[in-house]
Amino acid sequence: MKLDPTIRDQVLATVPSLRAFAISLCGNIDRADDLVQETLLRALAHIDSFQPGTNMPAWLFTILRNLFRSEYRKRRREVEDADGRYADTLKSHPEQTGRVEFEEFRAALARLPSDQREALILVGASGFSYEDAANICGCAVGTIKSRVNRARTRLADLLAIDSVDDFGPDRATRAVLAGGRN
Amino acid sequence: MKSRKTANIEPAAAEADKPEAQDGMGRTLTPRKTEVRLGREIQVRIGQQLRAMYDDVVNQGVPDHIADLVRRLSEQDDGAA
Repeated sequence: MKLDPTIRDQVLATVPSLRAFAISLCGNIDRADDLVQETLLRALAHIDSFQPGTNMPAWLFTILRNLFRSEYRKRRREVEDADGRYADTLKSHPEQTGRVEFEEFRAALARLPSDQREALILVGASGFSYEDAANICGCAVGTIKSRVNRARTRLADLLAIDSVDDFGPDRATRAVLAGGRN
Repeated sequence: MKSRKTANIEPAAAEADKPEAQDGMGRTLTPRKTEVRLGREIQVRIGQQLRAMYDDVVNQGVPDHIADLVRRLSEQDDGAA
């Protein structure tokens, strides 16, 4: 049976975002593309289990995440190696963003625990609702909210000192930042 | 003197939800305004950076080999059911 062109177009339309998510999980663009291919092979082989009219991106993201967890996570040290390896995987960067600042951001993101990074990306970058993100990750909505909050707090901590110049604080603010917990 | 790498900053979103913090004596602690402001600005910046990084990949579109794969799979009579 041939695939409904509408469904096929929905799948193709999801691929760019699926790749971005895969790269955030794998920390390696080649493995991410392998993961996306595997996901598509599996999805199209089981396309009858997709209910037309439901959320195609959420369905594909769920398959990709499950594949990643079951197979790719064995090679976890490459992903969890937080010293900027993930940051190194994306060589290009948007021109409108300061290069140094952007590198710092990616390095900080790479230092988050993978479940927090995943939740933050699904909600903050992929644009999923908390409910969809919870379904994709197979956990409660409250768990996703908590992971996103912890991810944001941790990133703010990691970026706070380094980014101070971007926000133009005066000396007094610097003193507060530097000595806040002494 | 910089003895810590991290700053004492509350996330902007959590700030609104939380009941007022109190110290051990039951007095309400007022968060320092500079910290709250900086926290919010950093949160906005985090959101922007996150989307910029993600959209960098999204804007690459569908790589040819993946588009070919999807078209090939969608044309074949694979009896998937």
